[in-house]
Amino acid sequence: MSLIKQLWIAIALVMSIAFGGSMVVSVLSARHYLEQQLQVKNIDNATALALSLTQLPKDEVTVELQVAAQFDAGHYRFIRITSPTGKTLVERVSTSKLLGAPDWFVKLIPIHTTPGQALVQDGWIQYGTLTLASQDIYAYQSLWDGTIELLLWFVLGAAAAGGVGTLALRIITRPLGEVVDQAQAIAERRFLTITEPRTPELKSVARAMNEMVGRLKTMFTEEATRLEALRQKVNRDAVTGLSSREYFLSHLREALQGDQFGSSGTLVMLRLPDLNELNTQLGRQQADALLKDIGTVLYESGNGRIGQRAGRVKGAEFAIVCPTFATATEAAMDIHARLLQDVLPKWQDKVPELFHLSAVRYQREQNMGELLAQADQALAQAASHGQNNWHAVEDSQAKAALPAEQWRTLLTEAVSGGRLALSFFPVVSGDGAVALHREGMLRLQTDAQGTLLTAGEFMPMAAQLNLTAPIDLGVVKLAIEHLRTSSGDIAVNLSAETIADHAFRHELTQLLKAYPEVCQRLLFEVPEYGVFRQFDAFRELARNLKLLGCRVGIEYFGQRFADSGKLADLGLDYIKVHPTYIRGIANNEGNQEFLKGLCNMAHALGITVLALGVENRGDLPLLATLGFDGATGPGLG
Amino acid sequence: MPKLFDTRLTTAVRGLWFGACALMLGLSLAWVASLAEPNLDKTQALALQRYGERAAQTIAAWRQLIEESRALPDSEKVNKVNTFFNRRILFKSDMEVYHEEDYWATPLEFMGNGAGDCEDFAISKYMTLQMLGIGNEHLRLVYVRYKVGSTTPIAHMVLGYYPQPTEEPLILDNLISSVRPASMRTDLSPVFSFNGDGLWVGGAATSSADPTARLSRWRDVLVRMRQEGL
Repeated sequence: MSLIKQLWIAIALVMSIAFGGSMVVSVLSARHYLEQQLQVKNIDNATALALSLTQLPKDEVTVELQVAAQFDAGHYRFIRITSPTGKTLVERVSTSKLLGAPDWFVKLIPIHTTPGQALVQDGWIQYGTLTLASQDIYAYQSLWDGTIELLLWFVLGAAAAGGVGTLALRIITRPLGEVVDQAQAIAERRFLTITEPRTPELKSVARAMNEMVGRLKTMFTEEATRLEALRQKVNRDAVTGLSSREYFLSHLREALQGDQFGSSGTLVMLRLPDLNELNTQLGRQQADALLKDIGTVLYESGNGRIGQRAGRVKGAEFAIVCPTFATATEAAMDIHARLLQDVLPKWQDKVPELFHLSAVRYQREQNMGELLAQADQALAQAASHGQNNWHAVEDSQAKAALPAEQWRTLLTEAVSGGRLALSFFPVVSGDGAVALHREGMLRLQTDAQGTLLTAGEFMPMAAQLNLTAPIDLGVVKLAIEHLRTSSGDIAVNLSAETIADHAFRHELTQLLKAYPEVCQRLLFEVPEYGVFRQFDAFRELARNLKLLGCRVGIEYFGQRFADSGKLADLGLDYIKVHPTYIRGIANNEGNQEFLKGLCNMAHALGITVLALGVENRGDLPLLATLGFDGATGPGLG
Repeated sequence: MPKLFDTRLTTAVRGLWFGACALMLGLSLAWVASLAEPNLDKTQALALQRYGERAAQTIAAWRQLIEESRALPDSEKVNKVNTFFNRRILFKSDMEVYHEEDYWATPLEFMGNGAGDCEDFAISKYMTLQMLGIGNEHLRLVYVRYKVGSTTPIAHMVLGYYPQPTEEPLILDNLISSVRPASMRTDLSPVFSFNGDGLWVGGAATSSADPTARLSRWRDVLVRMRQEGL
């Protein structure tokens, strides 16, 4: 039984005893009082009547009249005179019926009085014994009325006390509820702090838990800061703050092979004069300042463009992978314009021929070496255009991009016409033996030939057209279908755009409530950039989904690491670490250390860590050593 | 009366939280009532303690009288009891003995002080005869008007013994030594009579704890008697 119920019962019990007891006492004492008064009246009246009868002549008429007069004018149940031999000489008995008090009450609380007795003399001779009893109807009535009134007070008092008690309980248990909620949240690995209640007992509990949560959070934050520093050191170029060569190439490979982005994109290359030349010309410090300026501009060019990333690939050579620009020309012009505006005016005097810029298109599955060679070639052409100029190479074979309206038709029809499909990829345990779950990747069939588009190819367009919500709902429906017909767990992706949609969250909850039996086997994951862009929405979504029994995770985790302190109060079940860190992990000791720390921290929060983009089964033992609980990727299909 | 009841009711409501305690008190009060059997040892001890050796001797003699008279016929009992008190006890007014205008003494007080007025004689005789097994219906305490010749009549009390309830009584009077039939007592005219009938009906209901019992002079003396072991 809950504490609150027990308190309530205790209050009710105490009140019943207090009210009920006082009522019984009141009624009984009132009865006792009435009995006494009636008794005294009986005795006194009998004596008075007997005294006056003794003085009077004892003829029948006088005695009869005397008794009748007393009886008729007074309040008597009966008056009787019996002779010493026991014969009744005179008798008057009231025929009044009991009124005012119900029979059961009279039976329950009877008023016991004894009739008054007195002796009547006729000179020295005994004339008889006079017995009389007073009328007790009014006594019963008075007792009954009093009892009713008392009962009324009892009910009123009980109601008032009950109301006050309920209020008091509510006030008492409000902080208790908060403490309980906090404890539950901690059990679900959401580390929340609460305001300390004023009740001293609860206060110390809440304080202890708050301190514990605070310490944990500090610990996580410190660990996150340390790991972030490590990550920066390993994966960033110290001078420009851009990605290091290795990290950039890993990202480029992901763009070329992964599922996250579209099937085509642009690679931009930027070449400065030879670094040694710059150092000679400007001095080491100035040269570094120039590189830093370039780095800042390139970094800022990626703001708001998902997947765009700049890296320093050689001493004075930079590359930018741009998955979101429609053509190479657009990409080249955008970055060129930024350079002209923010870098050139400052440095043109000292270095008139500052840079060349080229842009080439790439297609999914293209060879990275070839792509880099193409870009190199385009750079040469840019140089031929004159100083600080650019050159873009469009892909002659590229399919003409569909206009937005056609996309809308295509996507709407796909949702309604059931042309969405899930393609499943296994996620295996750390040793590669057991399938933890299958990840359902969204595919869209565009034409009768069965050409399938990956999510990365059409979801950006869907996001622009505000169509992600129906598509994501379609995905969940597909997953539910699969779960109902097959065994094992399934993970599905939700778009960053969708999770902020209140209507979608509501619809999703309703949908899942209709299939409570599959919720345990359904996993939801949201890309990291989506989580941090819509953090509050994600937190609420995660809360709702977890209440339904689903698991929630973050995919492509690791690039916004500085914010990961926030993860402590989400109650996440798993994270999937970005493939950029996983590719080539065997030869990257820096990233090994980073990932090891990441796994430790996640495990402390009770979060399962999975590796994305594993290309080689041989990497599994190493990943398991680093602390990964599972992995997925092309090498494991 | 309803007004008083209301007051009690209000008090009860006010004292709501003490209800439980009051309940306990009420329950324990019920135990106080008890029906005592005559305990003459207690009476004698009290006499010694309160009035001294002489009083204790009087009580002892009285107890002996009771023992000796138990087997006698009723008329003999009446004579013996009348003689015992008339000889042993002095007539003195209440003012002298108790410094009160009118005081009804119990047999213990009466014998302890060795003195009393007319109603004290009548009461002690009445109680003694009752203890000897003579029923209430044979005994009456009678208020009488006492007048000899042309003197001013005075208020007096005697005990009447009715061998048969319907017949003329024998009068036990402290003013004359012997028991005589009422018809021979022309100096007395009866005014009113009473006995213990109807006072103790229900026993426990009219206990010494009942304050109303002490308000009547007659019931008061009966209550005190009980406390003294009679």
